[in-house]
Amino acid sequence: MSKSIESQRTQWEEDGYLVFDNAIQGEELARLQRAFDYWADQCKSDWLMRVEAGEAVSTFYDIPGVFEKDEIFVDLVDHPSYYPTLKAVTDGEVIFMSPQARTVPAWPVTYSGWHPDVPHTHPLHIKVQVYVNDVDPRCGEFAFVPGSHKPDAGPYSKVNRLESMPSHKTFPGGAGTAIMFNSYGWHAAMDNPTGTPRKSVILIYEKYTPNRVPSGAHASIAHYCTTPERRRLFSLGE
Amino acid sequence: MPRIDSHVHVFAKPSAEFPRETDALAPAELEAPVENLLAEMDAHRIDRAILVQLGGEEIEHHAYLLHCLKTYPDRFLGIGTIPADISDPAPHMDKLCQETGIIGFRLFSIGGPKDPFAQIDVRNFKSYRIWEHAAAQGYLISLYARAVDAHLIPYLLEAFPQLRIAINHLGVCPGKGKFSIDAKGRPHVETPMYNPAFHSTHRLARYENVMLQLSGQYAFSAEAYPYRDLTGWHQHIMGIYGAARLMWASDFPWIQKDPGYGQLKNIIKELLPNLSDDEYDDIMGGTAARFFQFAD
Repeated sequence: MSKSIESQRTQWEEDGYLVFDNAIQGEELARLQRAFDYWADQCKSDWLMRVEAGEAVSTFYDIPGVFEKDEIFVDLVDHPSYYPTLKAVTDGEVIFMSPQARTVPAWPVTYSGWHPDVPHTHPLHIKVQVYVNDVDPRCGEFAFVPGSHKPDAGPYSKVNRLESMPSHKTFPGGAGTAIMFNSYGWHAAMDNPTGTPRKSVILIYEKYTPNRVPSGAHASIAHYCTTPERRRLFSLGE
Repeated sequence: MPRIDSHVHVFAKPSAEFPRETDALAPAELEAPVENLLAEMDAHRIDRAILVQLGGEEIEHHAYLLHCLKTYPDRFLGIGTIPADISDPAPHMDKLCQETGIIGFRLFSIGGPKDPFAQIDVRNFKSYRIWEHAAAQGYLISLYARAVDAHLIPYLLEAFPQLRIAINHLGVCPGKGKFSIDAKGRPHVETPMYNPAFHSTHRLARYENVMLQLSGQYAFSAEAYPYRDLTGWHQHIMGIYGAARLMWASDFPWIQKDPGYGQLKNIIKELLPNLSDDEYDDIMGGTAARFFQFAD
């Protein structure tokens, strides 16, 4: 493990999050933005119909089957900017669960208040959120309570005013910023009254435990997974 | 602590004295007399209730509701209805509320942009003038918004922070085409178990003038009473709103035969068994007494 990753691991264990500025940049970022915008636009009318039918949430939507839409989304999963760190904090036993290519319209209220995703009885659960557009303060930026991932942390309450959560930290950032966080920890999306939607790709991982991902769950992208490491990451078998 | 049923319906068979509209849910031969409700309330020690208009939005359709409020002023307050796109709502609202016991209006539609990415100006909502007049006069809004309108609600809450809002039926915002009538003649609303309300009406708890009603379980559940598949919804709502913002309601008469009024009175203990006595008292009447401002 490099010294850089060692220091990252220390912060990870203490705070429960890491920020990777400019994780995606240049032409790769531009390609991600083009793919995201194209497919979000393509999927929007179907989402609006599902909202009207009461089948979908009106306060955000995801591009369905995003890995099948463009390889750029698959490449985010093991991106060299953060994947070595992901492996380090999972002792090399990381598996990928699912993606969320998410657009969150501006709204006076957050679409997601303070919460942890899983209890400590659950295998280590990690998310990496990659901002696709610039996410300024009060634009629905990610927020986290440092240290809240620890088993003896808290208790925390579901304060309705997000800014009332003690010791929280918000994470505005430029397009291409990646934020990796331990999902035992309390997190939220801050309010976004600005009029600018937040676009991000949220990648969900776990530390390996047997049979967590059904065999073939990611079979549709098997053609992108030609190395043993990728096949393990996507639970495609050897 | 009073026991208050915060949302019920009573209606007569249509007549010259009590005209009303009919539909598949409330056909002409069906009636839900206020005396039946009073018998249930007395049998189960419910002190008061909120009568919610059913059977039409025009003033004349409110005749039976007004009759009940006049006959039993110590037991009931009323919620009227109004066409959401009425051009001049003030005369309609003021006439219905003038010393009648009607204290607010139920809305099903807001009438703003369907697209959550659209630029929002609440003054362009079709129902804006109703909200504006309610805020000016102190009338409350009882809201059973449709899914297409769910994202519009907080813009109105921002515009009218003084307005009292009761969000009906667990915050569910029914989808287009998802209403039906079940084999027992009750409303049924097809609703995903991962309820979109988690990210819309349940997020409105930050607005302290918003209350949420724990009711309508029979319409959303895939199970028989006590509708345990909705336990998670109740826990989620309780965790966000807290008992001081929640109000139990039976939705009489739809529950009179199945599961029965007495069973419905116990549903909060079934689905939120760990409440303190104070929390239980709030949900069963304390919150409603404060919100609806019943006279002592």
